[in-house]
Amino acid sequence: MPLLTRIAIFTLLTATVVQKGIAQNFFGYKSFALTEDNKPFKINTLYKNEEGFIYAGTTNGLYTFDGKYFSKINFLNPAVKDTVTAIFQDNKKQLWAGFKNGKIAKKINDRLQYFEPEEGTPKVAITAFVQDKQNNIWFATNGEGIYYFSNNHLYLINEEEGLSDKYVHALTLASNGDVLAATDQGINICTVSGAKKTVTVIGPKNGLPDYYITSIVPAGNNTFWVGMQEKGFCLYNHTTKKITIPPAATNWSFGQINTLLASANSLWIATQENGLFKLSEARQLLLPFFSGSTNKNNISNLLLDDEANIWMTTADELISNSGDKLTLLPLYDKATYETIHTILSDYQNNIWAGTDGGLIKYSFADNKTERKNFPIKGLTSKTDITGLYQDKYHNIWISTMGEGVFVLDPATGKYRNISENPLLKKASLLSITGSGNTVCAGGLEGVATIFELSDLNKTIAENYQFTNYNNIPNIGNNYIHTVYKDKAGGIWFGTDGKGITVLQNGQFVHYNKKNGLKDEHIYSFTEDEKGRIWFNTKDAGIYSFDGVKFKNYGAAQGISDLKITTLKTDRLGNIIIVNEKGIDILNPETGTVSYLNNVQGIAAINTAIQSITTDSSGNILLSTVNGIVKYCPIAKTNQQPKTIINSVQLFLQVINKEEQHNFKYDENGFTFNFTGLYYSNPAEVHYQYKLDGWDSSWIATKDQSIPFPNLRPGKYTFHVRSSLNENFNNASEATYSFTIYSPFWKRWWFIILSVIAGAGILIGYMKWREKSITKMQQLQQEKIQFQFEVLRNQVNPHFLFNSFNTLISAIEENPKAAVDYVEQLSEFFRNIVNYRDKDVITLGEEINLLKTYFYLQQKRYGDNLKLNINISEEEKKQLLIPPLTLQLLIENAIKHNAVSKETILTIDLLMQNGNRLIIRNNINPKFSPQSGTGMGLQNIINRYHILSAEAVVVNNDTNFFTVSLPALKQ
Amino acid sequence: MLKKLAVFILLLVLFSFKLQAPLADYKVSTGTIAFKSDASLELIKAQSNELKGIFIAEKKQFAFIVIIKSFKGFNSPLQQEHFNENYLESNKYPSASFEGKIIEDIDLSADGTYAIRAKGNLSIHGVVQERIIKADITVKNGNISIKSNFTVLLADHNIPIPKVVHEKLASEIKVEIKADLVKK
Repeated sequence: MPLLTRIAIFTLLTATVVQKGIAQNFFGYKSFALTEDNKPFKINTLYKNEEGFIYAGTTNGLYTFDGKYFSKINFLNPAVKDTVTAIFQDNKKQLWAGFKNGKIAKKINDRLQYFEPEEGTPKVAITAFVQDKQNNIWFATNGEGIYYFSNNHLYLINEEEGLSDKYVHALTLASNGDVLAATDQGINICTVSGAKKTVTVIGPKNGLPDYYITSIVPAGNNTFWVGMQEKGFCLYNHTTKKITIPPAATNWSFGQINTLLASANSLWIATQENGLFKLSEARQLLLPFFSGSTNKNNISNLLLDDEANIWMTTADELISNSGDKLTLLPLYDKATYETIHTILSDYQNNIWAGTDGGLIKYSFADNKTERKNFPIKGLTSKTDITGLYQDKYHNIWISTMGEGVFVLDPATGKYRNISENPLLKKASLLSITGSGNTVCAGGLEGVATIFELSDLNKTIAENYQFTNYNNIPNIGNNYIHTVYKDKAGGIWFGTDGKGITVLQNGQFVHYNKKNGLKDEHIYSFTEDEKGRIWFNTKDAGIYSFDGVKFKNYGAAQGISDLKITTLKTDRLGNIIIVNEKGIDILNPETGTVSYLNNVQGIAAINTAIQSITTDSSGNILLSTVNGIVKYCPIAKTNQQPKTIINSVQLFLQVINKEEQHNFKYDENGFTFNFTGLYYSNPAEVHYQYKLDGWDSSWIATKDQSIPFPNLRPGKYTFHVRSSLNENFNNASEATYSFTIYSPFWKRWWFIILSVIAGAGILIGYMKWREKSITKMQQLQQEKIQFQFEVLRNQVNPHFLFNSFNTLISAIEENPKAAVDYVEQLSEFFRNIVNYRDKDVITLGEEINLLKTYFYLQQKRYGDNLKLNINISEEEKKQLLIPPLTLQLLIENAIKHNAVSKETILTIDLLMQNGNRLIIRNNINPKFSPQSGTGMGLQNIINRYHILSAEAVVVNNDTNFFTVSLPALKQ
Repeated sequence: MLKKLAVFILLLVLFSFKLQAPLADYKVSTGTIAFKSDASLELIKAQSNELKGIFIAEKKQFAFIVIIKSFKGFNSPLQQEHFNENYLESNKYPSASFEGKIIEDIDLSADGTYAIRAKGNLSIHGVVQERIIKADITVKNGNISIKSNFTVLLADHNIPIPKVVHEKLASEIKVEIKADLVKK
């Protein structure tokens, strides 16, 4: 019952807050406008893909947004500028875009291509996509119902299946595989099983406050937040089919809800007319933003990025802020801020501030900041409150400068000075900390005290047990900035100039310059989850100490400002390092550092050591000039840039980087486009890249596009990594490996083949050469033999004897003829001598020689010897013949045949078919055959074998002796 | 039996629409349906001029039916026999039909050509498949003509393709419909 009352009050108050118009500013927001030629485009839809990249669907088409720039994704035809109304990435990382005109496109190699199923696409706007458990893609339309694409067919769910309305605004998937659709007429639960489509409607009958559903988003455990047109929002449980209306949504008066977003700690509610609301984790407090604003009152498209930032759109802007990460609690004016020395968040999350004006308590119950002063006698505006600590019994310890330590019971407001410890009397203390049963105080002149609490100390009236450490060796009366008790029981004293002293197992151990500490002014301690002690120094950054070694973190490790006020461990185990401008968040495992500062809207932070506190949920609170900033560490968010290779271009054409890795030798001009995705502060992202196989070391750059215009063949891997500082250890890295093959003439197989082919040719050539040399030698030999044969014949005594007898008779009978005869004889011998060395002569020359020889023979045989030459002048010029071939054949004919009046020897010389030379004689065998060596004819056959591919044919029938010689052409 | 049922359904549809929308009912005056199976080894084509159907303009609903045995123009009588007996089993499933409703919110009273999509049930080989089919409707002088191309996956309708004729029969059959409708 008390709970219900409280809820009622909250709701009432919420309404009042808005009516009064005390709209909260949207802390640290940034806004972006998307324009082309100064013409703004409306963003219709926002989407985050699996890598965390934000896409914006606009009236001018589809864009990606990296935190700095919008980049358009064009169609193959860049003139197409369809208005994008829905974006989706399926589980195969395929990006889909739905358009106002009902068309649908897929992104392929950085270009959009229309999705064209046989069934056609809708003619009304696509409003949402979802992928079901069978991997079917669903899309909702504004007027045609809901389609799904399954087994290459498109199916429609409309009124025929019982869809209550064809105007569908949102889709989401339930854990049992049902698709839930937000329509003008309630929630439609769509189930497809085989060819059977079922629609169940959840409407006002089921308790839904409004027909018109604008948004439905998962809220975990199969429940969904439902945004409505008029009646606010509610929670739908898909398991029980029950509707629950949260108290904050009863009597909703803020008009149409455009969309909802469930973040780690809140529900964000975007409205049509009243800006943005945040429903806190407790679901009781509705915090308004932009209410009453004229240009930011209409909010749509809520999106949560991977760094927990919130994004949304207004009519003409894209807006983001740190979402659940940072909250501003406006508490005080600047004058108060300047006198704050310390803050404390108590177990009820009230904030106590130690100021010049004394102790102030701020409480936030009922969405109202209440301020209450706790004046303490003995403290003046000149007495600094240096530290506040709440012990396990909720009593508040107050350390002061000059007045020792007070303890206050917040329930009663009673307090007392701890006078039982004489050391603290009028003592000047610098800090008060503690944990469990221990409270530690340190101060000027070496004052250090440890209180051990017992149950008796529930009331502040009881005296405290304490141990004083006022004479620690090596410290003397040096300042002690802080005393810290670690989980293992060790007590750490941070001094002003004498390093660290730690009391462990009854022993004091000192650490100073000799141990490698560059600065001996120690301000505060904290401990990480692994028991390492972390502390900050005046000028040398921070150190971690694992019991053996000190490790320093300075500017090179990414610490943004060495003027560090204090440090603390947050609930995720990160070390929060506070400086005046913001906080550095150091991951003790990876050493990476991220930042929250003025970029996120944090104004100047108080520089007092204890200006930072932790609330009951482990959130970090900082005292800043604008109020208390609450940093809520959110698990599983990116604290560092995520490096992504957006695209790989080959000669400026985007290639499919998932599939294409092998390239030809002349495909060697690459450009790599990458992003270190860090929406929180994209301007601060640093890059290093390296092309393995080309660069030997990392190259720093701020460019996001690196060209390699002329790569040699080889194996390469492009690496790129991004960081928020110069420390790239453990930075997120993206790679792309590829191979440029050598030209084929440099590839091993070609070289081997070439060597084999070369060797083959060489061997072939050598064989041929060997053969031709043999042939030449043979020819030479044949020629010599032939000459010998011819000479032997011509100097044959028989020939000479016959010639001389002929000559003698000629001299007697016809001296003139004798002279002719001798001339012919001498011509004959001269020709033999002339042609002796030649391989071939023309047929004409041979015939002339033949005629000379025949003349000589005819003188002897007269008309009994006949020679018919039937060769054209042309052939005489063109054809070739080994010298003396015909002469030898005719000599043979005369030698082997009887030549007489009765037996006339007729020799025919003619061409056959233009390619054979025929010498034919009739046969009149002699009675006493003249024996011959037979070498003449054989020699001719051999010579022709060398000179021609065709053979000499010898035919000897009983009537004719025929020799057929291949015609040798010039 | 099924043939009778199909005719009965058709009559029922005709009748019921007639009651609801007496103003604009159309029926097919001439209708052809042709199909083509373009497999790697063989092109099979056939067509029927006996496409029957009605269109209720007011409700944007229509129904078409064709008797399987009315398909003519096969490459050979043997092919026709296979088509009727082995694939479509026309004795058992004598007709094929499509009944559907136009998805678009479109006014067909004025002359013009409209690209529409119809959501309905395609029944072939006794298997009913829900389909969305694109068509062009031309309205001229009170008459309507409908032209549509779509594909039918044999597997969708349990039409088995024996391995032997795998390369002779495409798994996807292209269908073309042309019909002129006149007011009843």
